[in-house]
Amino acid sequence: MTIKIYFGAVLLALLPTVATAQDKPATVVAVPPLATPENVSTSAGDTGLIARYVADVITSDLRTSREIMPIGPQNARVYSYPEATAPSFSQWRTTGAKTLVTGFVQARSDGRLTVACYVHDIPGAREIARKGFVVTPAEWRRAAHRCSDAVYAQLTGRPGSFDTQIAYVAESGTRNARVKRIAVMDSDGTSHRYLTAGEATVLTPRLSPNGDRLAYVSYAGGQPHVRVVDLSSNEDRPLLPGNAMSFAPRFSADGNRILFAMAVGGNTDVYAANVDGSALQRLTSSPGIDTAPSFSPDGSKIVFESDRSGSEQLYVMNADGSDPRRISFGGARYASPEWSPDGDRITFTRIAGSGLSIGVISPSGSGERVLTQSVGDEGPSWAANSRELLFQRSDASGRTGLAVVSVDGGAPRPIATPQDGSDPDWSAGGAK
Amino acid sequence: MRRMIFVAAALLALSGGGTLAAAQILRVPPILRVGPRGVPPLPITIEGLQADMVAKSGSDTVYFAGSGYGLDAAAQATLAAQARWLLANPEVRARIEGHADERSPRDYALAIGERRASAVHDYLVLLGVPAEQLTTISWGKERPAVAGTSDMALALNRRASTVLMR
Repeated sequence: MTIKIYFGAVLLALLPTVATAQDKPATVVAVPPLATPENVSTSAGDTGLIARYVADVITSDLRTSREIMPIGPQNARVYSYPEATAPSFSQWRTTGAKTLVTGFVQARSDGRLTVACYVHDIPGAREIARKGFVVTPAEWRRAAHRCSDAVYAQLTGRPGSFDTQIAYVAESGTRNARVKRIAVMDSDGTSHRYLTAGEATVLTPRLSPNGDRLAYVSYAGGQPHVRVVDLSSNEDRPLLPGNAMSFAPRFSADGNRILFAMAVGGNTDVYAANVDGSALQRLTSSPGIDTAPSFSPDGSKIVFESDRSGSEQLYVMNADGSDPRRISFGGARYASPEWSPDGDRITFTRIAGSGLSIGVISPSGSGERVLTQSVGDEGPSWAANSRELLFQRSDASGRTGLAVVSVDGGAPRPIATPQDGSDPDWSAGGAK
Repeated sequence: MRRMIFVAAALLALSGGGTLAAAQILRVPPILRVGPRGVPPLPITIEGLQADMVAKSGSDTVYFAGSGYGLDAAAQATLAAQARWLLANPEVRARIEGHADERSPRDYALAIGERRASAVHDYLVLLGVPAEQLTTISWGKERPAVAGTSDMALALNRRASTVLMR
């Protein structure tokens, strides 16, 4: 809304369609502190304390969504352990909330915790969803994110994106001698770690759908080339043998194939290979630059970027490379497309005279909407819920950071990182 | 790869009974440049060679318009002079480094940098420079020459540089 007012005149003059925030009322959800049957000391604190923390995390998760308005534990009445599964609905009707989240944290004899959560419909006085997780005490936060995912999925019909990971490039050093490292963190900013040490320039990390691998581009050894890291063993190897320049990797929805671009003698084309580099297949052969490929969720189509028409535009082709069709006709240049997890939209970077911005378009090329306006917004990546986009925002001085914008528009929300951040990728699921 | 083959061939020549010093056969910088009679030979650093090429060619860099990779008359004149220098110094290898401006998204910047480096490489080869003397690399938008997003800064970053290598 702020952005709309601030840039309104500029946007009206320059853009074909500008998305604005939808004003559909959010569902009010009460999230009182979880209960514990017995307060037991664990390596991560007493179970009663963890129960309170879990409610805090669920509240802050749900607060980032447009569809849900949580009432946090500080404003809610405390209930007893038996009430977790059988709440006194009459007590909750006065809060104005439509939905109630309860649960408990219980210490197990094996040293782990059971974290259970229940979603209740208050007017209907009935339970509508329940989830239970057994985790080590140190993993209580991930159990809380999964409770948030369960609440979000129940109320919106879409998968949640709270128990997910973000990979990005952490940047430091001067503008002309940037030190770039691949970093991975949970989507709430915790569990932050670096996967590369910074000796070689690295770009465009992409997580596999189940979070077990990461593909990225490295200049280690000279030419930029795609590498694949196994995140459990940290084994890191080039996708292909040889010294060819390869880049722009992206996994298929089943995690078995990697799409990428390879440049030979001034001509860049789209290729696919298995994650171990076998079954290499060339998918385009135009004399122009064909790059930035992304599979549709069912694997039957590929969207990519090509300048075969004279400027960068978006094309959709079959997975075997046949029948490429241009879908972008908005009078600008279009780059770095990614297909949404629900298959309904494609996000892109739009390059016009005023700078780079983020937008969405349908796979058939209709319904183009621009979502951001700044000096340099690029490289959007979908959330698992297909409702939000994570992207890189650069300011005029060249500093970069991460931000999230809703597909309905509105002001982007910054994502904090320890250093400057670029090339973000949002995984479909949590770490394995 | 090319260098390995080159070194292997040189070693073969050496083991074949050559009496030449290894440095002369390997012909990789730093090299000795012989001055006037009575002045001892001077070691030439790679930086010194780069400065010499720039002085004799006018520039080690050519520039491109928009998202293009065509070589205009100014670029062709610079590259013709670079080609003469490289032909006169066959022991020096050169890496053509292609760059994009910051208005190009990451993946396209890598591709257009490669296309620019290849255009320069192919033009130098057309002018007679042995392909074995040249390599190419794309830096995408990772190594801007000039900071900022002004039209001037963008234009100065759309470039390909000929960088001499050890």
